[in-house]
Amino acid sequence: MIQLNGAPVQVERLGTDGSLQRAMELLRSLDGKVDAIGLGGIDRWLVVDGERFAIADAEKLVAAVTKTPVLDGTGLKAVWEPRVIDALLSRRIIDPADPVLMVSALDRFGIADAFYRLGFPTVAGDLIFTAHLDYPILSRAELVRLGKHLLPEMVKRPFSELYPIGAEQDVLSDERYRRYFDAARIIAGDFHLIRRYWPDQLADKVIITNTTTAADVEAVRARSAKWLITTTPEIDGRSFGTNVMEAAVVAVSGVTPDHPEWAKTVEDIDIGFGAVWLRP
Amino acid sequence: MMLGDVLQEFVERCNANPRLTAMNRDWTRDVAILATDTGEIFWIQSAEGQLSAGAGAKSGADLEIRADGDVLAAIFSGQMAPTEPYNQGDLLVHGSQDDLLRLDVITLMIWGE
Repeated sequence: MIQLNGAPVQVERLGTDGSLQRAMELLRSLDGKVDAIGLGGIDRWLVVDGERFAIADAEKLVAAVTKTPVLDGTGLKAVWEPRVIDALLSRRIIDPADPVLMVSALDRFGIADAFYRLGFPTVAGDLIFTAHLDYPILSRAELVRLGKHLLPEMVKRPFSELYPIGAEQDVLSDERYRRYFDAARIIAGDFHLIRRYWPDQLADKVIITNTTTAADVEAVRARSAKWLITTTPEIDGRSFGTNVMEAAVVAVSGVTPDHPEWAKTVEDIDIGFGAVWLRP
Repeated sequence: MMLGDVLQEFVERCNANPRLTAMNRDWTRDVAILATDTGEIFWIQSAEGQLSAGAGAKSGADLEIRADGDVLAAIFSGQMAPTEPYNQGDLLVHGSQDDLLRLDVITLMIWGE
């Protein structure tokens, strides 16, 4: 049970171990019986510079649901996560001179956009970490150009080709791209990707992610990182994914991300974020 | 422009781009390119970050790309993303998806939109 805006929200996590078929059956069974569904492990859309690309596998899943809103976190990523970056800047946890590695930016364009807008030297590692093309994306313009060129066709492919799902998420730890981690002070993006490629040392670095457990916090601490920032608040030792928190916001407000009042609703509810100071 | 000329310009532009040569420095591949309508065969070789291209067959290609000649010319001149005809079944690829994506990124970076 979590509290949002003083309202209790009952949250239940149900996994299907990467099986789209089981996920579809589960979604169908929940339709009309819950206030909102957060779709985890798969994005429904990727949004680049305001243009939305629907992921085909997710569309198949969502087609099974006709009554209950299905949320994937895209709305919070666009509206809330850039505010977290602004907050970290105002608290001087991060500085615009800090080099940033975003392990993936196309699934978190809001954060990437904030870093570029605020002048952080930012490397987006989408091609490196998801396609093993050692091509660091160095500017917002390049990120937008690549995203708008590649995504229209890529989103049609099976999601498992775009992102590790199920047991693949537990593959540890491939250090072939260590130099990108070493060169950055801020490591941001999807935690599964960070964990898959991080080196054994992250001394004094700031990790910005979410969907972390207590064990993940200790794994980050063991690498000597300075801060672990989660863009959603820590609740009972874990930070939920943006999809869960977005579903919670929709459940208490009745306002969905495509509503004109969405940004104001998110701002009013102010879900908070997590900041764990790991070492002085 | 003939397919052979398109491929030659493709490799020259790629080799002139330092970020692409850095990306390809560990990519050692022989790519066979077959125009299914004309029967023409070409190859591209990648080694130590440099590409080369030529006409004719090479045995033991790591990646084989088959399509009509005009589709191949459109892809390697940046007028068409390879994933588009691939998803439509107009482009057949034997090899890894990552290699196809790499060619797509190269064409985007050297030709733009």
